[in-house]
Amino acid sequence: MPVIQIENLSKHFRVLNRREGLVGSLRDLFSTDYRTVKAVDDISLNIEPGEIVGYIGPNGAGKSTTIKMMTGVLQPSSGTLLVNGNVPFKNRKKNAQNIGVVFGQRTQLWWDLPVIESFKILKEIYRVDAETFKAQMATFNKLVDLEALYHKSVRSLSLGQRMLCDITAAFVHNPRVVFLDEPTIGLDIAVKARIRTLIRELNNQHQTTIVLTTHDISDIEALCQRVVILDKGRLIFDDAIQKVNYLFGAFRTLRLQIFPFAPETLSAFANKLDSAFNCPDAFTVSSDESGWIEVTIDQAKVPLRDVLNLAMGDFPVSDVQIAEISMGSVIQKVYEGVKV
Amino acid sequence: MRRYLGYFHIVKASFMASIVYPVGTFFTLIGNLVYITVVFFLWHSIYSGADTLHGMTFNQTFIYLTLAGSVLILFKTYTDWALSSRIIDGSIVSDLIKPLDFQVQTFAQSLGFALGNGVLITLPSLLLMVVLFHGSFPLGINLLFFPVSLGLAYMLSFCLDYAVGLTAFYTQSLWGISITKEVIVSLLSGALIPLAFFPEGLQRVLQLLPFRAIYSIPLLIATSSQLQIADYFQLLLVQIAWTIVFLVLTRLFFNRAIRVLVVNGG
Repeated sequence: MPVIQIENLSKHFRVLNRREGLVGSLRDLFSTDYRTVKAVDDISLNIEPGEIVGYIGPNGAGKSTTIKMMTGVLQPSSGTLLVNGNVPFKNRKKNAQNIGVVFGQRTQLWWDLPVIESFKILKEIYRVDAETFKAQMATFNKLVDLEALYHKSVRSLSLGQRMLCDITAAFVHNPRVVFLDEPTIGLDIAVKARIRTLIRELNNQHQTTIVLTTHDISDIEALCQRVVILDKGRLIFDDAIQKVNYLFGAFRTLRLQIFPFAPETLSAFANKLDSAFNCPDAFTVSSDESGWIEVTIDQAKVPLRDVLNLAMGDFPVSDVQIAEISMGSVIQKVYEGVKV
Repeated sequence: MRRYLGYFHIVKASFMASIVYPVGTFFTLIGNLVYITVVFFLWHSIYSGADTLHGMTFNQTFIYLTLAGSVLILFKTYTDWALSSRIIDGSIVSDLIKPLDFQVQTFAQSLGFALGNGVLITLPSLLLMVVLFHGSFPLGINLLFFPVSLGLAYMLSFCLDYAVGLTAFYTQSLWGISITKEVIVSLLSGALIPLAFFPEGLQRVLQLLPFRAIYSIPLLIATSSQLQIADYFQLLLVQIAWTIVFLVLTRLFFNRAIRVLVVNGG
C-alpha cells in the first residue's frame, strides 16, 4: 500500500490584486478585488514505501505548498490526500508522529541551546524510547560524527553543520516518511556530498520513504529513482529518472569544436541556423570558453544530420561529439517555461 | 503521563534559552528598580501624610504597585510578538509539524520564558524592594492563595497574548493591535493604578471585565490582610471562570485562523 496517496489535490489562495502607487495603495485598503491563485492544481500521485522521490520544479511551482499539505500545515482546497492512511490536516498531531520534515531555510532546532538539548527535547516530544534513541544517535554519530557538535549551540554552527543536525533530527523518531525541502540549499560541494550520503544511508536503514525537493539536479541524479516535476501547480512529469530526458521528445545535443574560435563565431553560427532552417525553437545554442559550441536539437523538427552538414560546410570544425540531452538541460527547459 | 513530558521539556528548554543572554535581562531589572523608586516617591507625595486613601495605606499601595510592576515583567513573555512573527515569516510550520497541541506548545514556550523572568527579574526586584524600601507583605493565609491566583492570572495573560498574536493570520502585522492591548490591559487591570483609585462608576464596569483577573485580583490577594476565606474563593472563582472562557475562545479562534494560513516560499 502506498505511504502517500494523492488524488486530484488542489490548493487555491485568494490574493488581493494590488494597485500601483500611493493612490493605489490607499484604494487597496477598501478593495475586494481578489483573484484566485492555483498554487497546486489537480495533482495525483502515489508514493510507495522506501522510495526516494525527487520533487522538482521552478520557484513557485507548488512544491512547498504540496509538502505543507502533506505535513498537515495547510488545508487542501479540494481533492484527497492520505499520508500513512491519515488525513494530515485533520489529524495533524497523529500524522506528525509518523513524519519527519526539514525545511532547508528554517531550523527546527533550539537556536540558543546546545545541539544535544534539541535532540533530547525531540526524544520527549516524539516519545522515543531510550533504546531506540540510543541506537539512532549511534547511527548519526557513525554517519556524520554528530557527537563533535553536541555541545555547540545551534546559532554557532555553520550552515552545513546545522543542516546535518536538522536532517538527522528529522529522523530521530524513525518516521515512515521524511520530507526534505531543499536540504542542500546554499551548501558547498563537499557538504552536499556528505548530505547525499547521509540521506541515502538513512533511507536504506529503515526503508524510510523520502520526498526530496531541490534545485540541484545532481542531488536528484545521486539519490532518486523517480522524479516528479511540477510547473505552475500542475504535475507535468512523474516517472523513472531515466525517462526525464524524453520529456520533450527526441532531443540530441551536438557539440562542435571550432578552431580557430572567435568571439563572434557563436552568434554567426546561431544566425546561420536561423536562416537555413527558419525554425528557431528547434535549437538552443550555447558555448563555453574552450572553443566548443553546444547545440540542442529537436529532431522532430530538424534532423541532426542537416545541422551537422551545415556546420561542417561553413565552419572550421575540428572535433564533433553527439550526446543525449542531459537531465539538467531538460529541467532547465521546464524552468524556462517551455510548453510540454 | 509520557504524553505531557514533551511539553515539560519545552518549558525547560525555553527557560534555559531565556537565561542564556542575561545582559538584556539585567537592564530590565535595573529599569524595574528605577520604576519602583519612582513609584515610591510619587505615591509618597500623593499620600503626603495621609494614613489611608481609598481604604489603602501607603505601604499597601506601594507593595501593591511594586508587586504589580514585577508581575507585569514576569508576564511579559512577548508571546504575541513571537507568535505573530512566526506566522508572518512562516516559521510557524516548524511548530505545526510536531505531534503537539499548538496552544499548549506555545504556552509551554511562554511559561519557560516567564520562569526565566521570574528568576532573573521578579525575585531580585522583590528582594531589593524589601531590603531598600522596607516594604513588607502581610504574612498569612494569603500566601497560600497567591500562587494559585498568580497561575490563573498567567493563563489569562497568555490567552490574551496568544489571541493577539493569532490576529497576524489575518492582518499580517501586529504593532497597532499589540500596543492597544498593552495599554488597555495595564490600565484597566489595575497594574498601573490600584482599581480602588478609579471613579466608582468605572470601578463597577471594571468589575464585569476580565482584566482585573490578570493583575488586580492576585495583587489584592497578596497585599490585603482583611480578606475572609470565602473572599479568596470568590476571587479565585472569578479567575477560573474567565480562564475557561478565554481557553475556549482562543481554541475556537485558532481552529478558524489556521485555515487561512499562507506560508510563502521555502
